[in-house]
Amino acid sequence: MKNLRLKSARAALDMSQQQLADAVGVSRQTINAIEKGDYNPTIKLCLAICKALGKTLDELFWEET
Amino acid sequence: MNLSLGYNFGILVAVLVGALVGLGIIALLFRLKIMDLTFDERQERARGQAYKYGFWTLMTCLLLYGFSDMVLGRWCDVIAGVMLCAGAALIVFGSVCIMKDAYLSLKEKPRTIMILLTVVGSLNLAIGIMNWKNGRVVQDGILTFGAANGICGLMVLVILAVYVVNYLLANRGDAE
Repeated sequence: MKNLRLKSARAALDMSQQQLADAVGVSRQTINAIEKGDYNPTIKLCLAICKALGKTLDELFWEET
Repeated sequence: MNLSLGYNFGILVAVLVGALVGLGIIALLFRLKIMDLTFDERQERARGQAYKYGFWTLMTCLLLYGFSDMVLGRWCDVIAGVMLCAGAALIVFGSVCIMKDAYLSLKEKPRTIMILLTVVGSLNLAIGIMNWKNGRVVQDGILTFGAANGICGLMVLVILAVYVVNYLLANRGDAE
Protein backbone atom coordinates (compact mmCIF):
# COMPACT_ATOMS: atom_id res chain seq x y z
CA MET A 1 0.00 0.00 0.00
CA LYS A 2 1.36 3.42 -0.97
CA ASN A 3 2.46 5.72 1.84
CA LEU A 4 0.89 8.95 0.63
CA ARG A 5 1.23 10.58 4.07
CA LEU A 6 4.99 10.30 3.90
CA LYS A 7 5.02 11.71 0.39
CA SER A 8 2.79 14.66 1.31
CA ALA A 9 4.78 15.38 4.52
CA ARG A 10 7.97 15.46 2.46
CA ALA A 11 6.38 17.64 -0.20
CA ALA A 12 5.05 20.01 2.47
CA LEU A 13 8.64 20.69 3.53
CA ASP A 14 9.61 21.07 -0.13
CA MET A 15 12.07 18.21 0.20
CA SER A 16 13.07 15.92 -2.64
CA GLN A 17 13.43 12.16 -2.13
CA GLN A 18 17.19 12.63 -2.39
CA GLN A 19 17.23 15.30 0.33
CA LEU A 20 15.19 13.13 2.69
CA ALA A 21 17.40 10.14 1.87
CA ASP A 22 20.53 12.16 2.67
CA ALA A 23 18.97 13.37 5.91
CA VAL A 24 18.25 9.85 7.17
CA GLY A 25 21.28 8.11 5.61
CA VAL A 26 19.65 5.84 3.04
CA SER A 27 19.50 5.74 -0.76
CA ARG A 28 16.91 7.68 -2.76
CA GLN A 29 15.57 4.36 -4.06
CA THR A 30 14.80 3.28 -0.48
CA ILE A 31 12.67 6.39 0.15
CA ASN A 32 10.97 5.80 -3.21
CA ALA A 33 10.30 2.14 -2.26
CA ILE A 34 8.79 3.17 1.11
CA GLU A 35 6.52 5.76 -0.55
CA LYS A 36 5.43 3.23 -3.16
CA GLY A 37 4.75 0.62 -0.46
CA ASP A 38 7.34 -1.77 -1.88
CA TYR A 39 9.46 -1.82 1.30
CA ASN A 40 8.54 -1.89 4.99
CA PRO A 41 11.22 0.06 6.88
CA THR A 42 12.52 -0.95 10.30
CA ILE A 43 11.39 1.03 13.33
CA LYS A 44 14.85 2.65 13.42
CA LEU A 45 14.43 4.06 9.91
CA CYS A 46 10.80 5.06 10.60
CA LEU A 47 11.98 7.09 13.61
CA ALA A 48 14.75 8.73 11.58
CA ILE A 49 12.23 9.72 8.89
CA CYS A 50 9.79 11.05 11.51
CA LYS A 51 12.54 13.18 13.08
CA ALA A 52 13.64 14.51 9.69
CA LEU A 53 10.07 15.47 8.75
CA GLY A 54 8.98 16.64 12.24
CA LYS A 55 6.13 14.13 12.43
CA THR A 56 5.15 11.31 14.78
CA LEU A 57 5.14 7.61 13.95
CA ASP A 58 1.33 7.61 14.05
CA GLU A 59 1.10 10.49 11.61
CA LEU A 60 3.33 8.83 9.02
CA PHE A 61 3.12 5.09 9.50
CA TRP A 62 0.02 4.05 11.45
CA GLU A 63 -2.53 2.28 9.28
CA GLU A 64 -6.18 2.86 10.24
CA THR A 65 -8.11 -0.41 9.88
CA MET B 1 49.00 -32.90 -21.68
CA ASN B 2 51.93 -33.36 -19.27
CA LEU B 3 53.25 -30.10 -17.90
CA SER B 4 56.47 -29.83 -15.91
CA LEU B 5 56.55 -28.96 -12.23
CA GLY B 6 58.39 -25.74 -13.12
CA TYR B 7 55.61 -24.71 -15.52
CA ASN B 8 52.92 -25.36 -12.92
CA PHE B 9 54.93 -23.48 -10.28
CA GLY B 10 55.28 -20.57 -12.71
CA ILE B 11 51.51 -20.53 -13.28
CA LEU B 12 50.93 -20.57 -9.50
CA VAL B 13 53.33 -17.64 -8.96
CA ALA B 14 51.71 -15.72 -11.84
CA VAL B 15 48.24 -16.27 -10.36
CA LEU B 16 49.41 -15.17 -6.89
CA VAL B 17 51.12 -12.05 -8.29
CA GLY B 18 47.97 -11.27 -10.32
CA ALA B 19 45.80 -11.70 -7.23
CA LEU B 20 48.09 -9.42 -5.20
CA VAL B 21 48.04 -6.73 -7.90
CA GLY B 22 44.24 -7.06 -8.10
CA LEU B 23 43.91 -6.71 -4.33
CA GLY B 24 46.20 -3.67 -4.41
CA ILE B 25 44.06 -2.00 -7.10
CA ILE B 26 40.86 -2.75 -5.15
CA ALA B 27 42.42 -1.35 -1.94
CA LEU B 28 43.41 1.79 -3.85
CA LEU B 29 39.85 2.17 -5.22
CA PHE B 30 38.49 1.93 -1.66
CA ARG B 31 41.03 4.48 -0.44
CA LEU B 32 40.07 6.89 -3.25
CA LYS B 33 36.38 6.37 -2.31
CA ILE B 34 35.59 5.12 -5.82
CA MET B 35 34.46 1.84 -4.27
CA ASP B 36 32.59 1.63 -0.97
CA LEU B 37 30.55 -0.89 1.01
CA THR B 38 28.08 1.31 2.91
CA PHE B 39 24.58 0.04 2.23
CA ASP B 40 21.26 0.94 3.84
CA GLU B 41 18.89 -1.61 5.41
CA ARG B 42 16.83 -2.20 2.25
CA GLN B 43 19.98 -2.70 0.19
CA GLU B 44 21.46 -5.11 2.77
CA ARG B 45 18.29 -7.18 2.63
CA ALA B 46 18.19 -7.14 -1.18
CA ARG B 47 21.87 -8.13 -1.32
CA GLY B 48 21.14 -11.00 1.06
CA GLN B 49 18.53 -12.29 -1.39
CA ALA B 50 20.96 -11.79 -4.26
CA TYR B 51 23.64 -13.80 -2.40
CA LYS B 52 21.09 -16.58 -1.98
CA TYR B 53 20.31 -16.68 -5.70
CA GLY B 54 24.03 -16.48 -6.52
CA PHE B 55 24.81 -19.34 -4.11
CA TRP B 56 22.19 -21.67 -5.61
CA THR B 57 23.34 -20.75 -9.11
CA LEU B 58 26.90 -21.70 -8.11
CA MET B 59 25.69 -25.01 -6.64
CA THR B 60 23.67 -25.82 -9.76
CA CYS B 61 26.50 -24.89 -12.14
CA LEU B 62 29.06 -26.94 -10.19
CA LEU B 63 26.77 -29.97 -10.26
CA LEU B 64 26.12 -29.51 -13.99
CA TYR B 65 29.86 -29.10 -14.60
CA GLY B 66 30.67 -32.28 -12.65
CA PHE B 67 27.89 -34.18 -14.39
CA SER B 68 28.99 -32.98 -17.84
CA ASP B 69 32.59 -33.99 -17.07
CA MET B 70 31.37 -37.44 -16.09
CA VAL B 71 29.12 -37.92 -19.12
CA LEU B 72 31.03 -36.08 -21.88
CA GLY B 73 34.55 -36.59 -20.57
CA ARG B 74 37.11 -33.84 -19.97
CA TRP B 75 36.06 -30.78 -21.98
CA CYS B 76 37.72 -28.09 -19.86
CA ASP B 77 40.39 -27.62 -17.18
CA VAL B 78 39.03 -27.79 -13.65
CA ILE B 79 40.06 -24.16 -13.03
CA ALA B 80 38.33 -23.03 -16.25
CA GLY B 81 35.20 -24.96 -15.25
CA VAL B 82 35.20 -23.38 -11.81
CA MET B 83 35.69 -19.94 -13.41
CA LEU B 84 32.63 -20.56 -15.61
CA CYS B 85 30.52 -21.58 -12.60
CA ALA B 86 31.71 -18.61 -10.50
CA GLY B 87 31.10 -16.28 -13.46
CA ALA B 88 27.50 -17.50 -13.82
CA ALA B 89 26.91 -17.09 -10.06
CA LEU B 90 28.38 -13.57 -10.07
CA ILE B 91 26.24 -12.57 -13.06
CA VAL B 92 23.12 -13.73 -11.17
CA PHE B 93 24.24 -11.96 -7.97
CA GLY B 94 25.08 -8.73 -9.81
CA SER B 95 21.90 -8.73 -11.89
CA VAL B 96 19.63 -9.31 -8.87
CA CYS B 97 21.42 -6.53 -6.95
CA ILE B 98 21.07 -4.16 -9.90
CA MET B 99 17.37 -4.92 -10.41
CA LYS B 100 16.72 -4.34 -6.70
CA ASP B 101 18.70 -1.06 -6.68
CA ALA B 102 21.24 -2.53 -4.28
CA TYR B 103 24.35 -2.79 -6.47
CA LEU B 104 25.81 0.61 -5.71
CA SER B 105 26.52 1.65 -2.14
CA LEU B 106 25.38 4.98 -0.74
CA LYS B 107 28.64 6.71 -1.68
CA GLU B 108 29.29 5.22 -5.12
CA LYS B 109 28.49 7.22 -8.24
CA PRO B 110 26.76 5.44 -11.15
CA ARG B 111 28.93 7.04 -13.83
CA THR B 112 32.21 6.13 -12.06
CA ILE B 113 31.11 2.53 -11.61
CA MET B 114 29.99 2.28 -15.25
CA ILE B 115 33.41 3.58 -16.39
CA LEU B 116 35.17 1.15 -14.02
CA LEU B 117 33.13 -1.82 -15.28
CA THR B 118 33.76 -0.79 -18.90
CA VAL B 119 37.54 -0.57 -18.34
CA VAL B 120 37.78 -3.85 -16.40
CA GLY B 121 35.49 -5.71 -18.83
CA SER B 122 37.19 -4.40 -21.97
CA LEU B 123 40.72 -5.08 -20.67
CA ASN B 124 39.88 -8.65 -19.70
CA LEU B 125 38.05 -9.28 -22.96
CA ALA B 126 41.01 -7.89 -24.95
CA ILE B 127 43.43 -10.20 -23.09
CA GLY B 128 40.96 -13.06 -23.66
CA ILE B 129 40.90 -12.35 -27.42
CA MET B 130 44.73 -12.20 -27.47
CA ASN B 131 44.87 -15.57 -25.70
CA TRP B 132 42.36 -16.97 -28.20
CA LYS B 133 44.46 -15.76 -31.16
CA ASN B 134 47.60 -17.26 -29.60
CA GLY B 135 45.82 -20.60 -29.24
CA ARG B 136 45.99 -20.64 -25.44
CA VAL B 137 42.23 -20.84 -24.83
CA VAL B 138 41.58 -24.28 -26.33
CA GLN B 139 44.40 -26.86 -26.31
CA ASP B 140 43.83 -30.45 -27.51
CA GLY B 141 40.09 -29.73 -27.59
CA ILE B 142 40.05 -28.72 -23.91
CA LEU B 143 39.12 -25.27 -22.62
CA THR B 144 42.10 -24.14 -20.56
CA PHE B 145 42.95 -21.59 -17.87
CA GLY B 146 43.75 -19.18 -20.73
CA ALA B 147 39.98 -18.63 -21.03
CA ALA B 148 39.83 -17.03 -17.56
CA ASN B 149 40.31 -13.45 -18.81
CA GLY B 150 37.71 -13.88 -21.53
CA ILE B 151 35.22 -15.34 -19.03
CA CYS B 152 35.87 -12.45 -16.58
CA GLY B 153 35.54 -9.89 -19.39
CA LEU B 154 32.25 -11.34 -20.61
CA MET B 155 30.90 -11.56 -17.05
CA VAL B 156 31.73 -7.92 -16.30
CA LEU B 157 30.29 -6.73 -19.62
CA VAL B 158 27.04 -8.67 -19.02
CA ILE B 159 26.74 -7.04 -15.57
CA LEU B 160 27.48 -3.65 -17.18
CA ALA B 161 24.78 -4.25 -19.81
CA VAL B 162 22.21 -5.13 -17.12
CA TYR B 163 23.28 -2.06 -15.16
CA VAL B 164 22.97 0.31 -18.14
CA VAL B 165 19.53 -1.06 -19.15
CA ASN B 166 18.29 -0.81 -15.55
CA TYR B 167 19.74 2.71 -15.20
CA LEU B 168 18.00 3.91 -18.36
CA LEU B 169 14.68 2.27 -17.40
CA ALA B 170 14.85 3.69 -13.84
CA ASN B 171 15.55 7.19 -15.14
CA ARG B 172 12.52 6.90 -17.42
CA GLY B 173 10.19 5.42 -14.79
CA ASP B 174 11.14 7.37 -11.65
CA ALA B 175 8.56 9.89 -10.60
CA GLU B 176 9.48 12.02 -7.60
